[in-house]
Amino acid sequence: MSQVSDSLRERAYRYFDGLLRRVPPGPDGVARVGGRQIYIVPTRAGFMYGAVMLVMLLGSLNYQNNLGLLLTFFLASVGLVAMHHAWFNLLGLAVQARGGSPVFAGERARFEVAVRAEGERPRHDIRLRKNGETPTPVHIGAGDQALVALAVPTEKRGWHRLTDVMVETRHPMGLFRAWTYVATEAKTLVFPKPAPQAPEPGHDAGDSPRPHRTRHEGAEDYLGSRGYRPGDSIRHIDWKAYARERGLVVKQYGGEQGQEVWIDWARLNAPDPEIRLGLLTRQVLDVSAGQTRFGLRLPGAVEGLSQGTAHTERCLTRLALFGHAQD
Amino acid sequence: MHKTDSIAPKIDRIPADERPERHQILWTTLLVAAACAPFARYLDGQVTAFLALILAIRLVALHRPAALPNRRIRALLAFAGLGNCLAAYHTVTGQDGGSALLATMIVLKLLELDTKRDLRLVLILLGFLSVVQFLFDESFQLTFYLGLIALGLVTLLTELNGGLGAAGLRPALRVSARLALQAIPLTIVLFVLFPRLTAPLWSLGIDSSRGLMGMSDSMEPGNISELAVNGELAFRARFADRRPDSNQLYWRGPVLWKMDGRRWTPGAPPSDRQQPARLIESSDPIEYEVVMEPTKQRWLFALDMPVSEPEGTAISPDHQLLSNQPVTALKRYNARSVLSYRTAEPDERVRALALALPDNVTPRMRALVEDWRTPGGNGSDGREERADDWTLVQRALAHFNRENFYYTLLPPKLGANPADEFLFETRSGFCEHYAGSFALLMRIAGIPSRIVLGYLGGETNEFGGYTIVRQSDAHAWVEVLIEGRGWVRVDPTAAVDPSRIDNRVATELLGAGASVRFDLGEAAALARWMRDLRLLGDTLEATWQNWVLDFSAQDQRRLMDRLGLGAWQEYGLAVLMVLAVSLTLGGILLVLMRERTERDPLERLYARLCRRLAGVGLPRLPHEGPGDYGRRIAAARPDLATDVGGFLALYVPARYGERSTPETLQRLSNLLRDFQPKAQSVQSAFKGKVTASNGG
Repeated sequence: MSQVSDSLRERAYRYFDGLLRRVPPGPDGVARVGGRQIYIVPTRAGFMYGAVMLVMLLGSLNYQNNLGLLLTFFLASVGLVAMHHAWFNLLGLAVQARGGSPVFAGERARFEVAVRAEGERPRHDIRLRKNGETPTPVHIGAGDQALVALAVPTEKRGWHRLTDVMVETRHPMGLFRAWTYVATEAKTLVFPKPAPQAPEPGHDAGDSPRPHRTRHEGAEDYLGSRGYRPGDSIRHIDWKAYARERGLVVKQYGGEQGQEVWIDWARLNAPDPEIRLGLLTRQVLDVSAGQTRFGLRLPGAVEGLSQGTAHTERCLTRLALFGHAQD
Repeated sequence: MHKTDSIAPKIDRIPADERPERHQILWTTLLVAAACAPFARYLDGQVTAFLALILAIRLVALHRPAALPNRRIRALLAFAGLGNCLAAYHTVTGQDGGSALLATMIVLKLLELDTKRDLRLVLILLGFLSVVQFLFDESFQLTFYLGLIALGLVTLLTELNGGLGAAGLRPALRVSARLALQAIPLTIVLFVLFPRLTAPLWSLGIDSSRGLMGMSDSMEPGNISELAVNGELAFRARFADRRPDSNQLYWRGPVLWKMDGRRWTPGAPPSDRQQPARLIESSDPIEYEVVMEPTKQRWLFALDMPVSEPEGTAISPDHQLLSNQPVTALKRYNARSVLSYRTAEPDERVRALALALPDNVTPRMRALVEDWRTPGGNGSDGREERADDWTLVQRALAHFNRENFYYTLLPPKLGANPADEFLFETRSGFCEHYAGSFALLMRIAGIPSRIVLGYLGGETNEFGGYTIVRQSDAHAWVEVLIEGRGWVRVDPTAAVDPSRIDNRVATELLGAGASVRFDLGEAAALARWMRDLRLLGDTLEATWQNWVLDFSAQDQRRLMDRLGLGAWQEYGLAVLMVLAVSLTLGGILLVLMRERTERDPLERLYARLCRRLAGVGLPRLPHEGPGDYGRRIAAARPDLATDVGGFLALYVPARYGERSTPETLQRLSNLLRDFQPKAQSVQSAFKGKVTASNGG
């Protein structure tokens, strides 16, 4: 029962949220919050504050106690001024989001949002929110910027667009919640969710295996680390190094060259294309873990025989965007 | 063990950012204690003790969380607190009981601060607790103090919200100080323009248990002497144009008709047939305004005789100015009085009432009166030469003057028949002794008489231009009915020989209030200086009273009249309020928009450089850092590259590194002084020059 009403409420919220104005990104890709795009509503504490003020007002009026009125008006004025401060705290805030490295469907897509306090005012208690998680408030000094990471759950392959971020503040007294929706064009690529297991991809009969001894990435032996470059597989990211705040580092492997293999849409017979894509993804991942050179054949697209992280990435991107417009 | 079982799961469910920090709890507790502190004067001792106990538990629990009572004990404590209030006041709805309960509950809530929400609730309720305290005390000091408490609660609410960057209370304090400063104009607008009620909506019973100092409506030996040593304020009066002499300032209060042998009580004649008090003749009225302290009585004080009835008042048949409601708050009224007058003659019933005698009239009192009536006594010729009423009054006054009557504020105790004992034995007393016995003697002589209570005189405050009347100016006098003249005021106290006035006690006890009855020589310069200081303080207090405490619907109406909006009535006020509030808020927003947070000198220098370059058509773009900007300048105007580059070479490391010294600042400012860029084209060269010289 309560679940039904919860989901109803959620849908109602989402509907009304959809009606609210968005802050459009400017020509430089940065969205700057305008006055008319900020919404303010009292918080629970704000309603409580208002109720107590009302009681104080009625009591003071009734007993014709001018000092009581004076104090009531003072606190009420502070509340009103605080409301404007909340509004003002968001006004002119510059927000820019960008997508993170690709993820597999079901994982959380990462976005990085830069919030800048342009001008000469510091911004207090700025919270970024997407999908109702509890955000951490940040403080941004005048002229400074804060980077906030957002992790958004994904379901489907393809481009995952952030579309908008809620920027929220309860500064200064927590009596009012001011928020604005910032529209963004940030997107993160979502690969199909790999099937738990997949049949062995067929070897190509035409080519005989030719051993190479050139140094290529993607093979078994650990060669060392280098900085992350777009297109690197997230499977090779050294997460431990990332956790130690050494930035995104990719482990490189090299070694013996293996055989050649074609991963082929036509060889699978699962009826649902999404399941088929999941199986293909699993095959790509399995094969790329070994030392095999591989190619990918999809209806209307072929990725030639190659090897290495960048190649794997290209194949996975093909699978992610299969049947989508290539944007 | 049970305790941890019941609490732990609850705490786990609270999200991390809703969990209050220790210093937040500490500050809130201290603020609650500070807000309750001035209250302790009015609360019952046992309630104060309970509050102190709970606060102590809270503070101890900050160091030893184990000391925090669990839910069951908290419930018990809540009941104990309620019971404690009931035991002290027998009610929790009245002013005293209600506020005691409020304070108790707020303090008890301190034991249950699991979330920030609990803290917010406590802080918001502190505002309510502050307002309640104004029902007890309206002094300037308390207002200031509670203003600080309000600032404290705003600060703590800000601190609870967080996201301020730095730790400690200072950032929150800075934010709340700004809020408070910006809120002040709005507060004033709301205070002046918010429509007031002219009559209360409901009455929760302002407690009458707390006695107010002031005049009572009966006179018994000893009553006024309590007042006479009381320097507290009774009222202030401001005369429209001229102030009468002090010995003319008889402030008329309750009129007493009935004497039971010891006490004089009102017992006014039934007023059904009596028409409103009429004056047959009167002089030019004088106008004045009175601001009276609350007395919880209906009578107002007006100069003998009041002739106008301010709104909400009426003049009784015996010429008392009476308010329709008891005066429970500061009362301001404009009155008109005439100093010389002739009242109408009352009818027989009234005359009979004013002649009623108690049953303890002694023969020697009758003999005394008879002696005045026929001073020759039972002359040998038996011929009676009876004096008329007015002559008799004069003889009675002369008696008080001639005989050894003393004026003292510490008279000997009197027994069952005070009038007799005073007249023939003790012969020392003050106004109420004199007035009481004089009125009685008049009645024995067949002259209708009544007692009037009130105040005499008052101290002039030159600073404020008003007259201060204190409780120590309380006085009692007599009115006698003389054929053809109506009621005539007689002040027997004034008849006492000045050499027999014992003002020793007055000097010792009064200190503050020098009344006209005693001419306390103010020879000493120090005394005069002290008096001036005291009067200045009183002026400030009166201003506070006049403009803040007593600001009322009438003042608002007067304001509207002055603005020419008088015809709009309350609607006009409401419209004006909305307009003024919007304008003020708009002003605050403008201030917010234009406000620059303090920049460091380095940034100011850079901003000046940017302004000068903008003057020659090369403004800095919003997203441009100093490096990019410098490169763009160098590309666009190679002639400026050296100057700008030199400036930036100093500025950038100073701004972004850690090498900012006074010397750097000096060198940058020197560079800037010599840097006067000119626009390139001949046409705009002139403009560039002007801008540059402006910029310098």
